[in-house]
Amino acid sequence: MTDETSDPRTDGGERVRESRRGAKRTDGGTAAAGHETDHHHGLPAPSSIKRWLVTTNHKDVGILYTVTALFFLVFGGVLALLMRVQLWTPGATILEPLQYNQAVSAHGLIMIFWFLSPFAFGFANYVVPLQIGAKDLAFPRLNALSYWLYLFSGILFGVSFFQGGTFAGGWTMYAPLNLPVYTPNIGASTAVLALLLFVVSVTVSSVNFLTTMHRMRAEGLTLRRMPLFTWTILLTTWMMLFAFAALLAALMILSADRLIGTQYFAATGHAGSLLWAHLFWFFGHPEVYIVFFPALGVMAECFQTFTGKRIVGRKWFIAAMVLVALQSFLVWMHHMFLTSINLEIKTLFMATTIGISLPFDLMVFALVYTMLKGRVRFTTPFLFSFGALVLFILGGITGVFLGAVVLDYEFRGTYWVVAHFHYVMVGGITALVGGLYYWYPKMTGKMYDKFLGKLHFAMYFVGFNLLYFPMFVAWETPRRDFVYPEIYTTWHQLSTVGAFLLGASFLVMFYNLWVSLSTGEDASDNPWQFSTTTEWAIPSPPPLENFPGKPSFSSGSLEFLPDGSDAGDIEPAGPGGREPAATDGGEATTDGGEAATDGSETDADDGEDDDDGKLVTDGGRVMTDGGQPMTDDEQVVADDGTAGAADANAGVADEKATDGGTVTVYDEHAADDEEHGEDHASIWPFRIGLTSFLFLVGLSGLRQGSFPEGLEGGAYLGLTVVAGVGLLWALVGMGREEFHGLEGPFGESWPFTGINNTKLGVWIFLASDVVLFGAFVGSYAFIRVAEGWQNNWHHLIPADHVVLPGLINTYLLLTSSFTVVLALVACEKRSKWGLIGSLATTLVLGIAFLINKAMEWQHLFHVHSEAFPNGWNIGTNVASSTFYLTTGLHALHVIAGLVITLYLIARAWNGAYLDDDQPVELFGLYWHFVDIVWLFLFPLFYIL
Amino acid sequence: MSHLRLYTGIFAALAAFATAQVFVEQAGGLPYWTAFWVIIALSLVKAVLVAWYFQHLKWEPRSVSATIFTGLLAAIALTAAAAYSIL
Repeated sequence: MTDETSDPRTDGGERVRESRRGAKRTDGGTAAAGHETDHHHGLPAPSSIKRWLVTTNHKDVGILYTVTALFFLVFGGVLALLMRVQLWTPGATILEPLQYNQAVSAHGLIMIFWFLSPFAFGFANYVVPLQIGAKDLAFPRLNALSYWLYLFSGILFGVSFFQGGTFAGGWTMYAPLNLPVYTPNIGASTAVLALLLFVVSVTVSSVNFLTTMHRMRAEGLTLRRMPLFTWTILLTTWMMLFAFAALLAALMILSADRLIGTQYFAATGHAGSLLWAHLFWFFGHPEVYIVFFPALGVMAECFQTFTGKRIVGRKWFIAAMVLVALQSFLVWMHHMFLTSINLEIKTLFMATTIGISLPFDLMVFALVYTMLKGRVRFTTPFLFSFGALVLFILGGITGVFLGAVVLDYEFRGTYWVVAHFHYVMVGGITALVGGLYYWYPKMTGKMYDKFLGKLHFAMYFVGFNLLYFPMFVAWETPRRDFVYPEIYTTWHQLSTVGAFLLGASFLVMFYNLWVSLSTGEDASDNPWQFSTTTEWAIPSPPPLENFPGKPSFSSGSLEFLPDGSDAGDIEPAGPGGREPAATDGGEATTDGGEAATDGSETDADDGEDDDDGKLVTDGGRVMTDGGQPMTDDEQVVADDGTAGAADANAGVADEKATDGGTVTVYDEHAADDEEHGEDHASIWPFRIGLTSFLFLVGLSGLRQGSFPEGLEGGAYLGLTVVAGVGLLWALVGMGREEFHGLEGPFGESWPFTGINNTKLGVWIFLASDVVLFGAFVGSYAFIRVAEGWQNNWHHLIPADHVVLPGLINTYLLLTSSFTVVLALVACEKRSKWGLIGSLATTLVLGIAFLINKAMEWQHLFHVHSEAFPNGWNIGTNVASSTFYLTTGLHALHVIAGLVITLYLIARAWNGAYLDDDQPVELFGLYWHFVDIVWLFLFPLFYIL
Repeated sequence: MSHLRLYTGIFAALAAFATAQVFVEQAGGLPYWTAFWVIIALSLVKAVLVAWYFQHLKWEPRSVSATIFTGLLAAIALTAAAAYSIL
């Protein structure tokens, strides 16, 4: 790659050319640290479209997430405005009734799934690795894959509008409205598949973030010291891992109901609709916190930065969040108080629901006290964060009403609910918008226009309350309906005016951010006077590999060490460094340079970088836990202008000057550039995303297990087959690609020391799969309980369904597990033929398992008895549906395992795995898990 | 070699437990719900044996076991509470 296609920065900022050792000078502190060329990782320049298709760098992916999420904000926002226009007068028909239903449903789905969480994860992608001192996420290609699956899932949802109309049954997709009999459009199926693809993206992302945050924190950055934003993302991803697995199960079952004719949600009696509600809300309530926690993290960061005060009761704040994350899985049935669940369980869930408000009280008081004890700078990010707190308090209080069974009887299905959850959800968005302003200078190297930022807030806050508060007054308006009592017309008209004001406020934001990108003032590395986290200790925007050396907090403050060293190797440098940064809300003071030394005396009372650039780029310090301001003696300077740790390899140091002084940055790649540079580019995640999208477009044409006749059906079938082959090709391509990710050892890895990233990633994925299969088994158990566990259920199953095929398959799988163990033993003994023989035996046993299953199914399809004259097919009854779908999902896992086995055999044939048996071990983890699942399916579906 | 013997013994035990599950059901001597819990308990024992030894959980950090157990707990909570809600 030539210099023409490479740029040291991820985005924005002025490009700087220089030789490795040359000095470089920029105007605004936006210089990249070292490593000017990126020829070894194949990443094109940011101005190239190709860059954005192939990048795996977390900062690029963060920007992609942010921009894409904002697009979906506009998409969902326009739908909301259409609804508000419709509601100008009762019963207006600007939209046809079904179109209105589609707008309501799509608005909810887009905002919650395709805007809110991804918007937060734009920041998470960009900021979390910086805050924990990691160069990137643990699995950069999987991170890119998460993004592309997210984008293409959103496009797939957009396609659904053109397939006879999208899903129109509300964002909760309640059964039986979610079945083709009520929502017959192909577009409705496509919407379900789009959500399913989105959940796959979320799962991949969760595994990646959890592995990264647990395994790749810099030395000295214990969990206790971790910044609050990263804490919220950690808890969010844990919740995502388990909650979205339940939604994945629900969507897979729904897809099966819609596409191949299973009978789960069409079950007679209350089982079908209640089952959906259980699965959906088991996901849905944690989802509230999944959406809100990152916003809470932004609020915590902004409150600390703009009050100059460490958050009050920090450890209790964290403990409260952990408690909420756990409790969030124990409150879901408060969404079902109006269903036929029994009173005992309603009472229990009312108690847990009221209980979950208590830790939130603690968090709210912590934020309020932080504000009271500090000195507030009313910057745009703070205004949005403070506004979010006010809105959340109102949203939280009104939610407690809904947690009480008796009150919920009255409020359910009204605009009270609509107003409440918008105050919570859009309250969260408010904080995230604050986050956008907060990190915009870091992400772009430019400062936004402060006046326009505050104008945005004023319009936003007024518009928000004008939009949502009247809904509390007009609460008796039926939800999801455009016909309402005329007495509420004025309130609804106020709401509509508020909606347009809120929408217009975003136009101000887009204008501001867009124009500032090209004409805004250059932002210094740290434009906020009292920011305390690591991202502010590096250039804006940061260089490709983030840090001028290896970050360490071992001494109690941030220092950058040469790669390969540890904290004990380097003597701390003296005072006079430049970046104020602590890993979390420290009570930072500035120090040195031209900066003022006390917040109350600075020339930027609002805490924002002043236009003259006098403040901030110099001075300050780096703290680990922010508990106390550091003394100068404690301060360790990474890129001190004169001397310091980073200068340990002076021969490879770059000197660059910013407005704030000269900075010397250790070039971590200068010495051994070619030896261990990580890759940052791969096209395969994009290809997997694209082929997944096309495959699901094709699959959406399925109905009752077959494609429609004629040209349309042929097109859907053809697309399914071609894209399916393409998807397999892309998956294999990514598996075969040589890609050098980050390698340890890393710093802090508690509680997962002693296990490497890849293995931990597999285990975390399996934990998610436990919930997936658990939800399938739970669905089976629930439906069977509803039908009558023993007698009634057995009447749904033919006598030909006997134990023997299941027992044979149990023996086959157990034996195949044993042969995988033997394969690993062969690796240890360096026995090539032992390895190949063991894997080949596993393959044969797996195939035998599938053949046995196929024979069994074939027999059951064609049974003839009085009770089952047309065989026992997938759609015969709910018992057959649960049997075929659950064991079928397991069979798909077996097939995936056999594909991997084939790959392993081919590589073992060429001598692989004798020196490094980890791939065999990782495959074993998966294969044994598949075995374990069968150990439960066998008794449930064959014996009991 | 000692591990190989251990693995072989576990494999034999797994096969025996699977057979025992069928035997418990076919023999018919136990009340349904007693047999139900015996059969489920045997499945649990088999699952733990596979996870502990074949998947090497025994030799991994306990936090890995805790992660899997948390997932299991979530699934059981969903199943048990949902089923109870309609009793």
